[in-house]
Amino acid sequence: MGTFNRRDFIKTVGVATAGLVFKDLLSLNVLEAVQDPMKQYDYKGWEDFYRNQWTWDKKTRGTHGASCTGSCPHYVYSKNGVVIREEQSGDMPLFPNIPENNPRGCQKGECAVDYIYAPHRIKYPLIRTGKRGEGKWRRASWDEALGMIADKVVDTIKDHAPDCISVYTPAAPAGTVAFCAGHRFAHFIGAHTHTFYDWYSDHPIGHTQTLGVQSDSCECADWYNARYIIQWGANTNQTRIPDAHFINEAALNGTKIVSIAPDYNTSSIKADLWIHPKPGTDAKLALGMAHIIINEKLYDEAYLKEQTDMPFLIRSDNKQFLRESDMVEGGSDSKFYSWSRKTNNAVLMKGCWGEEPPVKPPIEPPFLGRNTLTFPKDYLKLGDLDPALEGSFSVKTKDGKVVTVRPVFDVYKEKIMKDYTPEKVSKTTGVSVQVLTKVARGYATAKPAMIITGGGTNHWFYSDVIMRSLLFLAALSGNTGKHGGGVNHYVGQWKPVHLPGVAALSFPKGNAKHRFGQTTIWSYVHGEINDGMKNTALDVRKYLKESLETNQMPLYPKGGKDPKVFIVYRGNYLNQAKGISDILKNLWPKLDLIVTLNFRMDSQALFSDIVLPSTHWFEKTELNSTMEHTFIHMIEPATKPLWESKSDWKIFQMLSKKVEEAAAKKGFTKFNDEQFGWERDLSTLHAQMTDNGKLIEDSAAAQFILDKAPQTKGITLDLIKEKGPQRFKANWTAPIKEGIPYTPFMNYVVDKKPWPTLTGRQQFYIDHKWFMDLGVELPLHKEPLDVDKYPLWFNTLHGRYGMHSTWKDNALMLRLHRGGPIAYLSPDEAKKRGLKDNDWIEIFNAHGKVVCRVKIFAGEQNGRISMPFTPELYTDLIEGSSQSPLPIRITPTHLVGNYGHLRFRPNYYGPGGHQRDARVEVKKYTGPTV
Amino acid sequence: MSKESMKMMKTPDKQLTFVINLNKCLGCQTCTVACKRLWTSNEGQDYMYWRHVETAPGLGYPKNRRAKGGGYKNGKLQLSKLPEKESYGIPFEFDFAGRLMEGKKERVRPKPTADWAPNWDEEQGKGQYPNTYYFYLPLMCNHCTKPACLEACPVDAIYKRKEDGIVLIDQQKCVGAQECIRACPYAKIYFNQAVTKSNKCIGCYPRIEKGVSPACVAQCPGRAMHVGFREDKNSGVYKLVNEWKVALPLMSEAGTGPNVFYIPQVLGPSLEDAQGNLTNQSRIPIAYQQELFGKNAARALKTLESEREKRINGKPSALMDMLIGYKCSDMQQISGKK
Repeated sequence: MGTFNRRDFIKTVGVATAGLVFKDLLSLNVLEAVQDPMKQYDYKGWEDFYRNQWTWDKKTRGTHGASCTGSCPHYVYSKNGVVIREEQSGDMPLFPNIPENNPRGCQKGECAVDYIYAPHRIKYPLIRTGKRGEGKWRRASWDEALGMIADKVVDTIKDHAPDCISVYTPAAPAGTVAFCAGHRFAHFIGAHTHTFYDWYSDHPIGHTQTLGVQSDSCECADWYNARYIIQWGANTNQTRIPDAHFINEAALNGTKIVSIAPDYNTSSIKADLWIHPKPGTDAKLALGMAHIIINEKLYDEAYLKEQTDMPFLIRSDNKQFLRESDMVEGGSDSKFYSWSRKTNNAVLMKGCWGEEPPVKPPIEPPFLGRNTLTFPKDYLKLGDLDPALEGSFSVKTKDGKVVTVRPVFDVYKEKIMKDYTPEKVSKTTGVSVQVLTKVARGYATAKPAMIITGGGTNHWFYSDVIMRSLLFLAALSGNTGKHGGGVNHYVGQWKPVHLPGVAALSFPKGNAKHRFGQTTIWSYVHGEINDGMKNTALDVRKYLKESLETNQMPLYPKGGKDPKVFIVYRGNYLNQAKGISDILKNLWPKLDLIVTLNFRMDSQALFSDIVLPSTHWFEKTELNSTMEHTFIHMIEPATKPLWESKSDWKIFQMLSKKVEEAAAKKGFTKFNDEQFGWERDLSTLHAQMTDNGKLIEDSAAAQFILDKAPQTKGITLDLIKEKGPQRFKANWTAPIKEGIPYTPFMNYVVDKKPWPTLTGRQQFYIDHKWFMDLGVELPLHKEPLDVDKYPLWFNTLHGRYGMHSTWKDNALMLRLHRGGPIAYLSPDEAKKRGLKDNDWIEIFNAHGKVVCRVKIFAGEQNGRISMPFTPELYTDLIEGSSQSPLPIRITPTHLVGNYGHLRFRPNYYGPGGHQRDARVEVKKYTGPTV
Repeated sequence: MSKESMKMMKTPDKQLTFVINLNKCLGCQTCTVACKRLWTSNEGQDYMYWRHVETAPGLGYPKNRRAKGGGYKNGKLQLSKLPEKESYGIPFEFDFAGRLMEGKKERVRPKPTADWAPNWDEEQGKGQYPNTYYFYLPLMCNHCTKPACLEACPVDAIYKRKEDGIVLIDQQKCVGAQECIRACPYAKIYFNQAVTKSNKCIGCYPRIEKGVSPACVAQCPGRAMHVGFREDKNSGVYKLVNEWKVALPLMSEAGTGPNVFYIPQVLGPSLEDAQGNLTNQSRIPIAYQQELFGKNAARALKTLESEREKRINGKPSALMDMLIGYKCSDMQQISGKK
């Protein structure tokens, strides 16, 4: 990093040399004579110089605990106590007839070792001496730093409330033991933790609305099984580097590849068909395809009838589903009807929310709307029932009223036929009728066909509508729940397959006794975000107020208090925050104490009061997994924690000890937590954290997680160490089958158990009032917001040279592109504004401004500017950052928590505060650049 | 070749050969970084990337690489000018500690000011939206059959290994004359100012000797590379180069007999007309790939297209199977497999 090289490190810390350097070459003269048995050339002895460079005395398992979904097993090589490099271990198990999962990795992962010896490695506890963000510190002892934090924690509980304290960390699968550490600490003191999947706008909320699951995707090896792949707003060659090969290999295997993206991106260049719609018109495009598929009768009628709510009846008078409670005295409001074509009457559909399974399931997994697995197999099979998909029928309600009812499909089809003709769609999207027809027919007729979607579609204000439209395409073509099919997305590191183990370590007294904050709402309210939506028809404040007052969504602290203590670890909250200027202006001053644990000085750490040195990934024992594959693997320490660093797991233990001491000193060891009726005892906090000493070591915690989850029971750290990555034994919505890549939703599609939704089906119609208010009871295209009166869409994308903010401060990565943050603009837009390549530009709107350099990119569409998101605030930006022009904009429907499967659970349902609808102007920056 | 250099120019028993499939290259630079962290993290080596990936069409690394010169003309060794230091990009330095640990006001800026770097024109390509085009082109030492560098070396420090055909610069014998740099048409030899010697790709011979694939191959997540010995007629590299003839040398006109071969880019969308309808025309001009890989590029593209068509229609294709490379060991065939 920077001027650093390993030799400097060696000089600095005085350890033995890591390897020969060029200046030592002369000493090889002596080797020459003795080490050249071949006598081929009289000087070949020199070759030992490079042979020596490729040697090591220690090889350990490792991977990168960044918030990355790669989960790439590596070996870490050390020599004389210095970690020298990493390389993929190449031992991911194989699937027959599928290309190897090896060697998983990327350019960032091959230089993660740089962070160990980086100039901004955090070596000691630091206490701020200047203003927040100034970078002025004094070195402190662990005792002093933790003592200050503990004092503040106890005072805050005593003088305010425990929920004035919060602990933030993202991405459990990337570093599972560490993830649990702060959650467990918060759990025992009564602080709240934070959601992250929604807050990063990564949660595909349309998945939850339609399928009743937090989200689920196939493992990437399953891509190879598809015969037709649409990358829709996804750029796998850039953002999913370890898995991208499966698509290029599928292409060589005869699979047709389509890329849908406004820009000619890294993946478009290898696609058979590149479709470049106008930004934000994805749902229009999808439903244009649906129009052609329906019109040409290319859809799978049997699948729609059995697996979706398409045959369910909607009342024409109030647009509500026809419910049992409408028809029968004492009937359920969560049982619904279809129209039997044989018996010509409305019949109740099996498996709806209102129906209890014959055996009550033992657990309700927090990632599902409900647990339907104890229903018998084939429960959704229609048997003799042939429900109508089309037509208009009359029923008499229990009050004797005659009401017209129509199947969802009939209502939806009418709208699609009317508003989504190829000509209309072409006009809105800019995609020609020829191309639209080609992709519609191609997708509907290839079996199986897959949609891979990503941040490109997922970050819009109406991202849920786009996702629902894509899922509708997959339902029309009968692809969801089939190998090589479905709508799969990989945005966000969200899925610890072995969640029960994570929960057992994080929430020992159960999820019900834990305070889960919703980070978007927390940031929006306490950051007093100006979203520019006031006095528009979509003023979210009205909905937010009601959602909070009726406990549909949570807000901490309760009772209108301000947050006081914010502890962040393994995360860069501030740097990633949408509405960052308001966050700094309004939220930051409310916080009496900001503590960050990290191994590198990121922007969150820079703007903190106390910074604690955590270990680099390679200095501890840790578990690692992802949704991109179904294998769990581990890190073992390549070296002891360097300088004064400690693992997150150990730091929170040490903090708990100091809280014990502070509580005793202040005479405040016990308090009653009324919300849970929990008499909390701070005097035994350390014993609670370590389960009376049983969980002191990171390895003990890791094994505890493995043991407590049915998905990993029987797997041990020793086994992984010896044999390499181990396959999960079970998964979320489908079984794990030997030799076959995981495909989600087979529990419902193959075993035909009810879906975990209100209707027990893939549910496209949502008859909630707020959905009706917004006109999204069905997934129909919504124009992007027209709030910012500026000409260019501001597209913030996942760049190649960083994993969010991580590696954006790595010198080698910066040398391999342009040395600092950039934004891409088309030649036309640049010319209009008199801009040349590499000019300094201002990207601005009413919310904020960022000053960075411009890169002219002929593959970029006119009408937008694209910036790889969230460079560190301190990198080569003259002002602001990518998040500066982006407010938090909450979609009202995301605040629903009182409708069947739509209820708040952490990272399962809640607002993301999506940013993609922001618009900006760009001009040449003429101020000083030094 | 002069009599003196013929002494160094033993005919190897076997020739280590690389095939790079551009259709599978992600442009991710993992090879670049794998190579850098293994071999070139020492003093004097910051600016050099023995292996790098550039965007084609583009200016390349060093800047205007293709116009550099070197190699052979009518069998005669050509020596170019030495590329300017700046054309490689002066490696940016960053003062992280100053801003973050010592409270200096200045943001962490690249020094010198950023206006050129090895991958500066990444993805800029050519053409007008929506018909722009670009692809990724990895480059490395070609371990040539007739290495111009070897002939150019005034002190006979460069030799071609008998056991694997890898071309090496003896780091003891090298006096830093830089004639090899002038001779190499690929601009893949670098002057190390710290030790005043020339450095270049060593074909990862320490790994080869142990039956381990070179880092750029073994670590490529795109699984875009094949490696093996061309004398082994069962090897992928032999079949792709000699039988299927889909793997072609880069700039063969320079006359050095390169041993790195490229499978041209056949995947990719066709051109659009003014109405946004698709045409049958190739987006990347065939003439451009011919400029890089020779006239045979057209025939290679046809073969690739018709073999892929077989898979689209559900018929077998041994070529496509080989390019897919179900197992890494099918793509990496060096003695004493990993």
